[in-house]
Amino acid sequence: MSANPANEIVWPSRKGDVRIRSFCTPEEIRRCSFDRQFGTHAHYKSLYTRRESLEENAAQPDANVVVALAEGHHIIGFGVLAFPDPGERWSELGPGVMLEVKAIEICRGWRAAKIAPGVIQMMLTHPQIEAKIAYLVGYSWTWDLDGTQLSAQAYRQILIKLFEPFGFREYQTNEPNICLKPENIFMGRIGQNVPPELQNRFKWLRFGVSP
Amino acid sequence: MRYPKEVVLKDCQEAVIRPLEKADELRLRQFYAAVPEDDRWYMRYDVLDPAVIRKWIDGIGGGTVYSIVALCRDDIVAHASLHMRGYGCTSHVGRLRIMVLPDFRHKRLGTWMLLDLIQLAMEKGLRDLRADFVVGVEDAAIESAYKLDFFKKAVLEGYVKDPRGKRYDMMIMTKRLHKDWGDF
Repeated sequence: MSANPANEIVWPSRKGDVRIRSFCTPEEIRRCSFDRQFGTHAHYKSLYTRRESLEENAAQPDANVVVALAEGHHIIGFGVLAFPDPGERWSELGPGVMLEVKAIEICRGWRAAKIAPGVIQMMLTHPQIEAKIAYLVGYSWTWDLDGTQLSAQAYRQILIKLFEPFGFREYQTNEPNICLKPENIFMGRIGQNVPPELQNRFKWLRFGVSP
Repeated sequence: MRYPKEVVLKDCQEAVIRPLEKADELRLRQFYAAVPEDDRWYMRYDVLDPAVIRKWIDGIGGGTVYSIVALCRDDIVAHASLHMRGYGCTSHVGRLRIMVLPDFRHKRLGTWMLLDLIQLAMEKGLRDLRADFVVGVEDAAIESAYKLDFFKKAVLEGYVKDPRGKRYDMMIMTKRLHKDWGDF
């Protein structure tokens, strides 16, 4: 990897500077080490426990895989912005309309260093972001409540505070998996160039109705 | 909690959920005036009495009752509230009450409002929720409560009477709010 290319920022943190890099290729990710804390814990399993999972995401067209690197090429955080899988409700607006924040995670040892905003910032450097509807689905059963020592409700609030500065807001939806638990959350960010007609369709889609 | 919250009902009508405001007194009176007499009968207070509505409006921000309303085209079409004691042996319990205009029942509006109050109850640190419903009269609300994991805790057989003296069962439903790990 070259030093400080256009798709990379240096993010100062309490534990030292971290390089945050967007649009990583599978080859770039392969050259990095993956923190062992991305694994299976007593009450929590990381979203991705293998570096290869990030590589597979990076190989998808238009996916933006972001990694936070410390000590050279050691991955201590990652984010994945990609199109929803076909068959999911959120792909029904049409191909390439919505982008899902499929993952964002900082390893336990770096959680308090406030790296996540940098990862989000770099995820949103997608060139088409203002023409897209980005969204994230938060299922409470995937959250590291044990590692953070937070209640599900407090974790939910942290997610809101984390994403709101980037234009995300909480939206209601009747999507069954999200409705399973009241602490689950659905957040969206409607790009400035998304036409009103598409915004309306997004609204109907959230509630599973078609006028 | 972030308000207003926009929801789309089953029939594609749009409604906005937000907290009850001081300026809502007239709207709330109009709302309860539109509630059928048979439904008002089962409420704890005479909501046609302006003093009752005034008391609710004055109680906004008091800390023991949290009310939300759903508006459709600027009219209140539903009102729900979370009641907290704030002290003593049931300070961990919140009680829910809800009223939805007939035209807006069976359209998920009640579910959205209950969901909103459940989230608020969790934020307030409550551990249990309770809601009482009249079986055969408030079936839409019972249906909403079941969808949100309320369980039938007890049935008081023949506990309430309709205006004509016919007795109905009252169902006490409760929901446990998990502080940490969910059921999964």
